[in-house]
Amino acid sequence: MLVSWKWLSRYVELSMPIAELETRFALSGLNHESTATVGDDFVIDLEVTSNRGDCLGHIGVAREVAVLYDKQLCAPVVNLDAVTDFKGPVASVDNRIPEVCPRYIARLIRGVRVGPSAKWLADSLHSVGVNSINNVVDATNYVMLECGQPLHAFDFDKLSGGQIVIRSAKAGETIEAIDHHTYTLDNAMCVVADAKSPIAIAGVMGGSATEVTESTTNLLIEAAMFAPLSVRRTARKLKLASASSYRFERRVDPCGVDWASRRVCELIISSGGGVVSSLATDTNPSAPSRSQVTLTYSQIRRLLGINIDPDEVLRILTALGCTALGHDGPGELAVRLESPSWRHDLTREVDLIEEVARIHGYENIPENDPISVVPSAKRPFDVAVEKVRGVMMAAGFCEAMTPSIVTDKTDAIVSPWTDRAALATVTTMLEGARKLRRSIVPSLLQSRAANWAAANVEADLFEIAHIYLPGSLPNDAPIEQYSLGLVSGQDYFFIKGVVDAIAQRLGLSHKIDFKSTPISGMDDDWSSALMLGDRVVGYQGAIDPKTQRELKLPGKVIAMELSLIAMLDEAKLVPTQKGVNPFPSIVRDLNMIVDESVRWSALERAVRAAVTDGLEGVHYRETYRDPAKDGADRKRILLSVELRKPDSTLTHVEADTMVKAILESCEKEVGAKLLG
Amino acid sequence: MSLSQFLTALDSLEADATSTLRSIQDAAQLEDARVRFLGAKNGVMKDVQKQLGGIAVADKPAAGKRLNEVKQTLQGAFDAARDAMASTATKVTGPLPDPTLPGTALRLGHLHPVTQTIEHLKEIMGRMGFTTAEGPEVEDPWHNFVALNIPEDHPARDPLDNFYLATASASGGVESAHLMRSQTSTVQIRVMESTAPPVRIISLGRVYRPDAPDATHFPMFHQMEGLYVDSHVTMANLKTVLRVFATNYLGGDVEIRFRPSFFPFTEPSVEVDFHWNGNWIEFGGAGMVDPAVLKAVGYDPEQVSGFAFGLGVERLCMRRHGITDIRDLFSGDVRFLQQF
Repeated sequence: MLVSWKWLSRYVELSMPIAELETRFALSGLNHESTATVGDDFVIDLEVTSNRGDCLGHIGVAREVAVLYDKQLCAPVVNLDAVTDFKGPVASVDNRIPEVCPRYIARLIRGVRVGPSAKWLADSLHSVGVNSINNVVDATNYVMLECGQPLHAFDFDKLSGGQIVIRSAKAGETIEAIDHHTYTLDNAMCVVADAKSPIAIAGVMGGSATEVTESTTNLLIEAAMFAPLSVRRTARKLKLASASSYRFERRVDPCGVDWASRRVCELIISSGGGVVSSLATDTNPSAPSRSQVTLTYSQIRRLLGINIDPDEVLRILTALGCTALGHDGPGELAVRLESPSWRHDLTREVDLIEEVARIHGYENIPENDPISVVPSAKRPFDVAVEKVRGVMMAAGFCEAMTPSIVTDKTDAIVSPWTDRAALATVTTMLEGARKLRRSIVPSLLQSRAANWAAANVEADLFEIAHIYLPGSLPNDAPIEQYSLGLVSGQDYFFIKGVVDAIAQRLGLSHKIDFKSTPISGMDDDWSSALMLGDRVVGYQGAIDPKTQRELKLPGKVIAMELSLIAMLDEAKLVPTQKGVNPFPSIVRDLNMIVDESVRWSALERAVRAAVTDGLEGVHYRETYRDPAKDGADRKRILLSVELRKPDSTLTHVEADTMVKAILESCEKEVGAKLLG
Repeated sequence: MSLSQFLTALDSLEADATSTLRSIQDAAQLEDARVRFLGAKNGVMKDVQKQLGGIAVADKPAAGKRLNEVKQTLQGAFDAARDAMASTATKVTGPLPDPTLPGTALRLGHLHPVTQTIEHLKEIMGRMGFTTAEGPEVEDPWHNFVALNIPEDHPARDPLDNFYLATASASGGVESAHLMRSQTSTVQIRVMESTAPPVRIISLGRVYRPDAPDATHFPMFHQMEGLYVDSHVTMANLKTVLRVFATNYLGGDVEIRFRPSFFPFTEPSVEVDFHWNGNWIEFGGAGMVDPAVLKAVGYDPEQVSGFAFGLGVERLCMRRHGITDIRDLFSGDVRFLQQF
């Protein structure tokens, strides 16, 4: 809202320095954006919050000044008596949608001379950036900027049937507005029409066919209320915002409509002559009831933490336009007040307390009133995530944050958790992105590709975020799974080591097993589900070469994703000490020859199954192949077993017995033979 | 022998021996010095020690004390000379070492600056007794709007200003059953719905609004919101908590300012500014929880009151680290990420 200093001074005495007033405005609710000099005037740009439609006119702003500085507000008094024509016709108004148009006042002016505006009025408009058009249009703009009520003047002689119909637009109906663009309407929109066609998009903009020109002599002056939601939806849909729509969206003063109508007629006649019909057509002349609220003084202290003198409370509220109706209840503990018609936002006690607080000044609220001491602890989840991040730091990964909503193409790269189609938003986010991602991995692959394109080769990235797994029904809320995703150019087993480290840091009771599972977008030989017992807690795999080519991403890329929620379920975040075994261990290396198809996991299982007590560790060392000696499709796996007893030193004889059992089990389970 | 003679002999022995040991050049000299002063049979020390027998009984403690001191001094000087000799002797010959060569670079990871900011905020608020809470990012209109006193005709619910989810039934312009949350206040509602007062939480997380991206806007960002509801919570408490927060976060004593504002879920509502380095910095919005919100979650606004505040994490993060373009935070570019 642009406020002219000179204009403002017509309604309230401005004896304070402008900088001081700007600060007072900012600290009482009208945020000061900037001040410009226009000719010999200052123009202050104030940000008006959406609840304060009353401050979208100079009188409303002047009222704030009057309250802040305890001065008198002098709003103009309108007297139309001298210029009314008792014999004039009355405009016919047919309001078919009172729920969208709660009030419509039409006044007719006859015999007006359209011409330039008076200099003071043209200057006033100029200072706040409004071009002067002619004395009629200027008067409607001036009164709107004076009191916040949008107004429109129609050339009465151009109204078909000389009548006004307020109705829903017909689908496909068009109107050329005064901006000379043609708008196609739909039946959710509201128009002001004559007997034939729309003459205005209600509350938004008038039509060009009935606009006031130099040859106009008879006017129909519209002063109306239109429902905020209807105006907003229409303006949004047509991408046509105007000073009028802005004000209707923020509500106008239901009692101020008639004042504005009379005020604009007075201004038009004073400059263009003519007479106004004595009877206005008003679809809803009864003044709406104003809110009555009881304010208990002690509530001020309860909410604000300070006492404010009841006299000051009453001064503020009455200066803002409230009417004090007397004490409510016994004693003088509470007062009954009626809110002003232009303050639709003052309907409850707490609304009045806010008014008192902002005018009294928030600087009077102390900042040394501490709250009580209570225990608060980190959530186990936060502790767990910190541990996970610690592992990722040690493993050399950079944490990325990528948008949760991705393009169809990104969404399709890989989706290990679900085959259900991703949920989508109506509005796109970035570059057409509409899909709620089902995995973090695709986003990270794209980041890695972008890094590659920017010649940052080593983009080993991770991200911790929600993924959105669609429910079984289309309208179900998704399952939001807090997950860790990563992509890396490191070795597959390095990433597996990261998984093990996370499991270990979270104190999982058993380790995560890798179970081969085909995953679209990943190399079949390497894609695995990560199992914690019977539960799938994640996926790891090498991205398949075709996907990488499409991403223009060279080199081998390993991706992994873990459900942090699933991990937390099994986590033991506070380790407990286990006694350190003081007895020495015996380590034996075993070089086993097995078929190519035998996997380490099976071999390890066979080793572990052989010894129930005393097997402290089974360690993989290496695999190598010697087809000349072992035959084709055979490989040698070198492993070590670490043997130890909890209560005494293990003897070599005992160790030999254990190893013998291990070898038997390996032969029986996986056909392994000891080399040599 | 008198005490004074004995002490004089010790003094001269000490002076003589320390100066000799200090000027030792090689192992032979070291051995000579050892035999001469500390030799078990004929060393000077031994000689002086023998004189102790002739000292008067009354003087013996003083003489003995001094004897021990000198003995220790000599032994220390000898050890020092021997150590010095040893370190020269073991020196390896070869190329000249260069300890100024660079250290081996560790391949450590980097936490995202937004994560670092969030951890910092959690830590500060945690010390004031605020527990962290989270909730879903896909919300229903009840939690995102209705319970927050945002009625259906409120501009904040406009389909064009939110990421509503597409469903079979919802077409353009109509609210669907779910949307990406536009604020973390949804979490406050969820916590209050399931917890009796007092409630003292911060909610953190991603929020979504269809803003066109530029240097200061991104359609996804993070919010931190605080909520405290109890039997006697006032705006003075709010101002105090925010001042303590600002002082902790920015360091030094920070002035704080409230400017009236409007949010549907608080009444009174204020914008909060911090005075820092000579400027007023916008911090975020705050206010007393609107009675309609308290009622919506089943609290009695006559029995409890509360304050709430919210701020954009990215803005704090960018200010702290001198980041000028919010899009960098979400770029995934390692040249950016590795700086933090």
